[in-house]
Amino acid sequence: MNITVDKTENHAIVKAEGRLDTIHADNFEKQMLEVFESTKGEIILDCSGLEYISSTGLRVFLIVQKKMGTAARKFKICNLQPVIKEIFEVSGFNMVFSIFPDLNSALAS
Amino acid sequence: MDKQDNFYRLALANNISELERIHLTVEELLNKWEIPAAMGFTLDLVLEEAFTNVVKYAFGDDQAHEILLEFEKTDQLLEIRLIDDGLSYDPTQKADPDIEAPVEDRQVGGLGIFLIKQFMDSVDYQRKDNKNYLILTKQISR
Repeated sequence: MNITVDKTENHAIVKAEGRLDTIHADNFEKQMLEVFESTKGEIILDCSGLEYISSTGLRVFLIVQKKMGTAARKFKICNLQPVIKEIFEVSGFNMVFSIFPDLNSALAS
Repeated sequence: MDKQDNFYRLALANNISELERIHLTVEELLNKWEIPAAMGFTLDLVLEEAFTNVVKYAFGDDQAHEILLEFEKTDQLLEIRLIDDGLSYDPTQKADPDIEAPVEDRQVGGLGIFLIKQFMDSVDYQRKDNKNYLILTKQISR
Protein backbone atom coordinates (compact mmCIF):
# COMPACT_ATOMS: atom_id res chain seq x y z
CA MET A 1 0.00 0.00 0.00
CA ASN A 2 0.99 3.60 -0.52
CA ILE A 3 0.74 6.39 2.04
CA THR A 4 1.25 10.08 1.29
CA VAL A 5 1.12 12.84 3.89
CA ASP A 6 0.38 16.52 3.32
CA LYS A 7 1.08 18.56 6.45
CA THR A 8 -0.03 22.15 6.95
CA GLU A 9 -0.16 24.30 10.07
CA ASN A 10 -3.71 23.30 10.99
CA HIS A 11 -4.02 19.78 9.77
CA ALA A 12 -2.42 16.79 8.15
CA ILE A 13 -4.06 15.01 5.26
CA VAL A 14 -3.02 11.38 4.93
CA LYS A 15 -3.89 9.55 1.75
CA ALA A 16 -3.94 5.77 2.11
CA GLU A 17 -3.99 3.76 -1.11
CA GLY A 18 -4.08 0.03 -1.78
CA ARG A 19 -4.61 -2.85 0.61
CA LEU A 20 -4.46 -2.37 4.35
CA ASP A 21 -4.03 -6.00 5.37
CA THR A 22 -2.05 -7.68 8.14
CA ILE A 23 1.10 -7.53 6.00
CA HIS A 24 0.93 -3.74 5.68
CA ALA A 25 -0.68 -2.73 8.99
CA ASP A 26 2.57 -2.36 10.96
CA ASN A 27 4.04 0.09 8.50
CA PHE A 28 0.76 2.00 8.30
CA GLU A 29 0.68 2.22 12.11
CA LYS A 30 4.26 3.56 12.21
CA GLN A 31 3.48 6.21 9.63
CA MET A 32 0.24 7.28 11.32
CA LEU A 33 2.00 7.58 14.68
CA GLU A 34 4.74 9.65 13.03
CA VAL A 35 2.05 11.99 11.67
CA PHE A 36 0.43 12.12 15.12
CA GLU A 37 3.73 13.02 16.81
CA SER A 38 4.89 15.55 14.23
CA THR A 39 1.68 17.56 13.83
CA LYS A 40 -0.65 19.43 16.15
CA GLY A 41 -4.09 19.87 14.59
CA GLU A 42 -6.56 17.60 12.91
CA ILE A 43 -5.63 14.50 10.98
CA ILE A 44 -7.78 13.73 7.96
CA LEU A 45 -7.44 10.27 6.48
CA ASP A 46 -8.46 10.24 2.83
CA CYS A 47 -9.46 6.68 1.94
CA SER A 48 -10.43 7.26 -1.71
CA GLY A 49 -7.68 4.89 -2.83
CA LEU A 50 -8.13 2.37 -0.04
CA GLU A 51 -9.28 -0.86 -1.67
CA TYR A 52 -9.28 -3.26 1.25
CA ILE A 53 -9.11 -3.35 5.04
CA SER A 54 -9.11 -6.18 7.58
CA SER A 55 -9.49 -6.13 11.37
CA THR A 56 -5.72 -5.59 11.71
CA GLY A 57 -6.11 -2.40 9.68
CA LEU A 58 -9.14 -1.33 11.70
CA ARG A 59 -7.03 -1.75 14.82
CA VAL A 60 -4.65 0.96 13.58
CA PHE A 61 -7.57 3.32 12.93
CA LEU A 62 -8.71 2.67 16.50
CA ILE A 63 -5.24 3.34 17.97
CA VAL A 64 -5.07 6.67 16.14
CA GLN A 65 -8.61 7.59 17.22
CA LYS A 66 -7.81 6.89 20.88
CA LYS A 67 -4.58 8.91 20.77
CA MET A 68 -6.25 11.82 19.02
CA GLY A 69 -9.15 11.78 21.49
CA THR A 70 -6.79 11.82 24.47
CA ALA A 71 -4.93 14.76 22.90
CA ALA A 72 -8.27 16.54 22.23
CA ARG A 73 -7.55 16.54 18.51
CA LYS A 74 -9.92 15.64 15.69
CA PHE A 75 -9.40 12.54 13.57
CA LYS A 76 -11.56 12.53 10.45
CA ILE A 77 -11.99 9.84 7.84
CA CYS A 78 -13.32 10.57 4.36
CA ASN A 79 -13.98 8.99 0.97
CA LEU A 80 -14.65 5.44 2.16
CA GLN A 81 -15.39 3.12 -0.74
CA PRO A 82 -18.67 1.16 -0.36
CA VAL A 83 -16.97 -2.15 0.51
CA ILE A 84 -14.88 -0.48 3.22
CA LYS A 85 -17.91 1.40 4.50
CA GLU A 86 -19.71 -1.91 4.91
CA ILE A 87 -16.91 -3.23 7.14
CA PHE A 88 -17.18 -0.09 9.28
CA GLU A 89 -20.94 -0.56 9.58
CA VAL A 90 -20.83 -4.28 10.35
CA SER A 91 -18.18 -3.77 13.05
CA GLY A 92 -19.94 -0.72 14.51
CA PHE A 93 -16.85 1.38 13.75
CA ASN A 94 -19.02 3.90 11.90
CA MET A 95 -20.23 5.00 15.37
CA VAL A 96 -16.68 5.43 16.68
CA PHE A 97 -15.21 7.58 13.92
CA SER A 98 -16.05 10.92 12.32
CA ILE A 99 -16.71 9.85 8.76
CA PHE A 100 -17.23 12.30 5.90
CA PRO A 101 -18.32 11.64 2.31
CA ASP A 102 -15.45 13.63 0.80
CA LEU A 103 -12.38 15.69 1.61
CA ASN A 104 -14.09 19.06 1.28
CA SER A 105 -16.78 18.24 3.83
CA ALA A 106 -14.11 16.89 6.19
CA LEU A 107 -12.10 20.10 5.85
CA ALA A 108 -15.19 22.27 6.28
CA SER A 109 -16.54 20.68 9.44
CA MET B 1 -6.77 -26.66 -12.58
CA ASP B 2 -9.17 -26.61 -15.48
CA LYS B 3 -12.49 -24.88 -15.61
CA GLN B 4 -14.52 -27.99 -14.76
CA ASP B 5 -12.67 -28.60 -11.54
CA ASN B 6 -14.76 -27.69 -8.56
CA PHE B 7 -12.10 -28.32 -5.95
CA TYR B 8 -8.87 -26.52 -5.17
CA ARG B 9 -6.39 -27.07 -2.38
CA LEU B 10 -3.66 -24.69 -1.32
CA ALA B 11 -0.90 -25.72 1.09
CA LEU B 12 0.37 -22.74 3.07
CA ALA B 13 3.20 -22.13 5.51
CA ASN B 14 2.36 -20.65 8.92
CA ASN B 15 3.58 -17.24 7.84
CA ILE B 16 1.60 -14.04 7.42
CA SER B 17 3.31 -13.39 4.07
CA GLU B 18 1.14 -16.22 2.66
CA LEU B 19 -1.80 -13.79 2.62
CA GLU B 20 -0.48 -12.69 -0.75
CA ARG B 21 -0.90 -16.20 -2.18
CA ILE B 22 -4.36 -16.49 -0.64
CA HIS B 23 -5.35 -13.21 -2.30
CA LEU B 24 -4.01 -14.39 -5.69
CA THR B 25 -5.78 -17.74 -5.35
CA VAL B 26 -9.09 -16.04 -4.56
CA GLU B 27 -8.66 -13.88 -7.67
CA GLU B 28 -7.93 -16.94 -9.78
CA LEU B 29 -10.93 -18.84 -8.45
CA LEU B 30 -13.26 -15.89 -9.01
CA ASN B 31 -12.26 -16.06 -12.67
CA LYS B 32 -12.38 -19.81 -13.09
CA TRP B 33 -15.59 -20.35 -11.20
CA GLU B 34 -17.27 -17.19 -12.49
CA ILE B 35 -17.89 -15.85 -9.02
CA PRO B 36 -18.97 -12.19 -8.94
CA ALA B 37 -16.05 -9.86 -8.22
CA ALA B 38 -17.90 -8.33 -5.28
CA MET B 39 -17.47 -11.62 -3.42
CA GLY B 40 -13.70 -11.35 -3.80
CA PHE B 41 -13.49 -8.68 -1.13
CA THR B 42 -15.56 -10.79 1.28
CA LEU B 43 -13.46 -13.89 0.65
CA ASP B 44 -10.19 -11.98 1.04
CA LEU B 45 -11.44 -10.58 4.32
CA VAL B 46 -12.72 -13.78 5.91
CA LEU B 47 -9.68 -15.78 4.79
CA GLU B 48 -7.28 -13.17 6.11
CA GLU B 49 -9.06 -13.11 9.47
CA ALA B 50 -9.17 -16.90 9.75
CA PHE B 51 -5.63 -17.52 8.48
CA THR B 52 -4.09 -14.73 10.58
CA ASN B 53 -5.72 -16.11 13.73
CA VAL B 54 -4.28 -19.55 13.04
CA VAL B 55 -0.77 -18.24 12.31
CA LYS B 56 -0.74 -16.01 15.39
CA TYR B 57 -2.40 -18.23 17.97
CA ALA B 58 -2.69 -21.87 16.93
CA PHE B 59 0.87 -23.05 17.41
CA GLY B 60 2.61 -23.23 20.73
CA ASP B 61 6.03 -23.57 19.16
CA ASP B 62 8.36 -21.91 16.65
CA GLN B 63 8.17 -24.78 14.19
CA ALA B 64 6.99 -24.71 10.60
CA HIS B 65 3.43 -25.96 10.14
CA GLU B 66 1.39 -26.63 7.06
CA ILE B 67 -2.02 -24.99 6.88
CA LEU B 68 -4.40 -26.28 4.23
CA LEU B 69 -6.95 -24.16 2.51
CA GLU B 70 -9.57 -26.04 0.50
CA PHE B 71 -12.16 -24.53 -1.79
CA GLU B 72 -15.08 -26.50 -3.14
CA LYS B 73 -17.90 -25.26 -5.33
CA THR B 74 -21.11 -27.24 -5.57
CA ASP B 75 -23.69 -25.57 -7.79
CA GLN B 76 -23.90 -22.12 -6.28
CA LEU B 77 -22.51 -23.01 -2.87
CA LEU B 78 -18.91 -22.26 -2.03
CA GLU B 79 -17.40 -24.19 0.85
CA ILE B 80 -14.01 -23.27 2.25
CA ARG B 81 -12.09 -25.36 4.77
CA LEU B 82 -9.09 -24.11 6.72
CA ILE B 83 -7.20 -26.99 8.31
CA ASP B 84 -4.31 -26.71 10.77
CA ASP B 85 -2.53 -29.02 13.18
CA GLY B 86 -2.39 -26.46 15.97
CA LEU B 87 -3.80 -26.48 19.46
CA SER B 88 -7.46 -27.37 19.74
CA TYR B 89 -9.40 -24.14 19.46
CA ASP B 90 -12.97 -23.44 18.41
CA PRO B 91 -13.19 -19.80 17.30
CA THR B 92 -16.96 -20.05 16.81
CA GLN B 93 -17.31 -20.15 20.62
CA LYS B 94 -15.63 -16.78 21.04
CA ALA B 95 -18.03 -14.15 22.37
CA ASP B 96 -18.92 -11.40 19.91
CA PRO B 97 -17.25 -8.06 20.61
CA ASP B 98 -19.46 -5.22 21.88
CA ILE B 99 -19.84 -3.26 18.66
CA GLU B 100 -21.69 -0.47 20.46
CA ALA B 101 -19.03 0.20 23.08
CA PRO B 102 -17.59 3.72 23.27
CA VAL B 103 -14.20 4.23 21.65
CA GLU B 104 -12.25 4.02 24.94
CA ASP B 105 -13.55 0.51 25.56
CA ARG B 106 -13.42 -0.67 21.97
CA GLN B 107 -11.22 -3.69 21.32
CA VAL B 108 -10.24 -5.32 18.05
CA GLY B 109 -9.64 -8.74 19.62
CA GLY B 110 -12.46 -11.03 18.54
CA LEU B 111 -13.44 -8.78 15.66
CA GLY B 112 -11.92 -11.17 13.11
CA ILE B 113 -14.17 -14.15 13.85
CA PHE B 114 -17.13 -11.76 14.26
CA LEU B 115 -16.54 -10.43 10.72
CA ILE B 116 -16.28 -14.01 9.42
CA LYS B 117 -19.64 -14.85 11.00
CA GLN B 118 -21.21 -11.69 9.59
CA PHE B 119 -20.00 -12.19 6.03
CA MET B 120 -20.37 -15.96 5.61
CA ASP B 121 -23.61 -17.94 5.59
CA SER B 122 -22.29 -20.58 7.97
CA VAL B 123 -19.20 -21.03 10.14
CA ASP B 124 -18.51 -24.42 11.68
CA TYR B 125 -15.66 -25.91 13.63
CA GLN B 126 -14.57 -29.52 13.95
CA ARG B 127 -11.65 -31.22 15.68
CA LYS B 128 -10.57 -34.35 13.80
CA ASP B 129 -7.31 -36.34 13.90
CA ASN B 130 -5.65 -33.70 16.06
CA LYS B 131 -6.49 -31.02 13.53
CA ASN B 132 -8.68 -27.94 13.57
CA TYR B 133 -11.18 -27.62 10.74
CA LEU B 134 -12.84 -24.29 10.19
CA ILE B 135 -15.58 -24.75 7.62
CA LEU B 136 -17.12 -21.73 5.95
CA THR B 137 -19.92 -21.65 3.40
CA LYS B 138 -21.37 -18.91 1.27
CA GLN B 139 -24.01 -18.94 -1.41
CA ILE B 140 -22.73 -17.43 -4.63
CA SER B 141 -25.26 -14.78 -5.57
CA ARG B 142 -25.60 -13.37 -9.04
